[in-house]
Amino acid sequence: MPEKAKIITVTGGKGGTGKTLVAVNLATMFKNAGKRVLLIDGDVENPNTYLLMNGELENKAPVYFFKPSIIETKCSKCGLCSKNCATHALLHVDGQYPIPFLTVCSGCKLCYKICPEEAIKEDYKTIGWTYETKKNNMDLWIGELKPSEARSAAVVEALLDNLKELLEKEPQKYDIIVLDTAPGAHCDVELLLESADLIVPVTEPTKFGKLDLLRIIELIELLGKPYKAIINRSSLLGFKEKFLEELERKDIEILGDIPLDDEIVQSYCQGDPLMDENSNFNKEGEGYKSFITIFENLNKWIREKKTASMEGA
Amino acid sequence: MVIVAVPSGGNGGLTSILNPRFGRCESFTFVTVEDGEIKQVKTLPNAASDAMGGAGIQAAQTLGNNNATVAIVGNLGPNAAQALGSLNIKLYQAPNQQITVKDVVQEYIDGNLQELSGANVGSHFGMGGGFGRGRGGAGGGGGGRGRGRNL
Ligand code: SF4
Ligand code: SF4
Repeated sequence: MPEKAKIITVTGGKGGTGKTLVAVNLATMFKNAGKRVLLIDGDVENPNTYLLMNGELENKAPVYFFKPSIIETKCSKCGLCSKNCATHALLHVDGQYPIPFLTVCSGCKLCYKICPEEAIKEDYKTIGWTYETKKNNMDLWIGELKPSEARSAAVVEALLDNLKELLEKEPQKYDIIVLDTAPGAHCDVELLLESADLIVPVTEPTKFGKLDLLRIIELIELLGKPYKAIINRSSLLGFKEKFLEELERKDIEILGDIPLDDEIVQSYCQGDPLMDENSNFNKEGEGYKSFITIFENLNKWIREKKTASMEGA
Repeated sequence: MVIVAVPSGGNGGLTSILNPRFGRCESFTFVTVEDGEIKQVKTLPNAASDAMGGAGIQAAQTLGNNNATVAIVGNLGPNAAQALGSLNIKLYQAPNQQITVKDVVQEYIDGNLQELSGANVGSHFGMGGGFGRGRGGAGGGGGGRGRGRNL
């Protein structure tokens, strides 16, 4: 029986650790292995997976966000909306019409629902976009937050709504879905972690890298998800051994590490994924070999999970 | 006659100290000034002092509901500035030093305070870093960083 797609979420406590590099190349290796792959870029403030793949932003669809607007001809100036708005986004002074403050409004629609005069219009503003693209034989979904907007989680939610719909309608369309998250441990990252079957936090062997890794792992453990870390730039200043030891002491399992490697930098600049079967990177390079090892470990992990869940059933 | 609102510490009043955190001060002292003299004083606790968000807006609302037409402020974020602006409340910059409500109102009466055209700090300035990711001044706020105060 064909199975439901496996969702692998790549994350990192801190920006610039190489999440996107890992997400793009993992997706690429699955595709090389003949899997049907969907890559979702959920780093909506800074989506750049498509740049790493020389892709284009196509099939743009707006993401809407509720915005209250007051119909003055109906409003009785009662102030009920303002009193009940949890974020105090509606300024109301006795005898005046309420004034919405959109930068604070959470879009909860409560005001719209409770207004006794139906004086709040259901209005929407565009806070970002989603894109659906095909590149290198895999599908790519991208979320982008409009500059000047702050509600990145709403764009991530739009991506996840699309994903949910896909999984309901065509649960077997893809074998593997790779999600790339924003850095940090805030609410839109949490949404993407929640959807994952397996989580791969990417870090680097520095003090900051470790702190941020521990922070994101705390969140992952809270969500009760299985995870294994990848250490990027592992040859950095010879910190790797000590770093590995520390992770072992904390019982953090490692999927593999990626050394500093010129070809990785080059693949970045060219927008050709290092691991693409059609790329002409050196198959004996350190970076290339490290990804092969990571991919083997990842597949082993997926198989273990599968047996475990079958035994559990 | 003007009603001057001053964000104040403790329970407020003429002898209390001006609190520079507009949205999150403990209380507001409303001072009625007529013919260059202080005629009446009223105090109110600030319901927004520990609000989750939109404290500046809620605080502005308190000022509006108490008919203030002038506010003397220390730090003012973009939302509060915009909210006070839309209520046509005139803003004056308090001196950057510890000062009682009475003295600062006297400075206002004497014409020693500068009028303020908008926000003078970014959003969540007075929040002690509560919000996860600092995200600069909230877009669309009134006037950005009018006059940086050296704190
Ligand atoms: S609840 Fe409705 S009628 Fe009352 S002030 Fe708000 S918009 Fe106006
Ligand atoms: S949608 Fe929710 S947050 Fe926005 S103004 Fe209405 S009640 Fe407030």
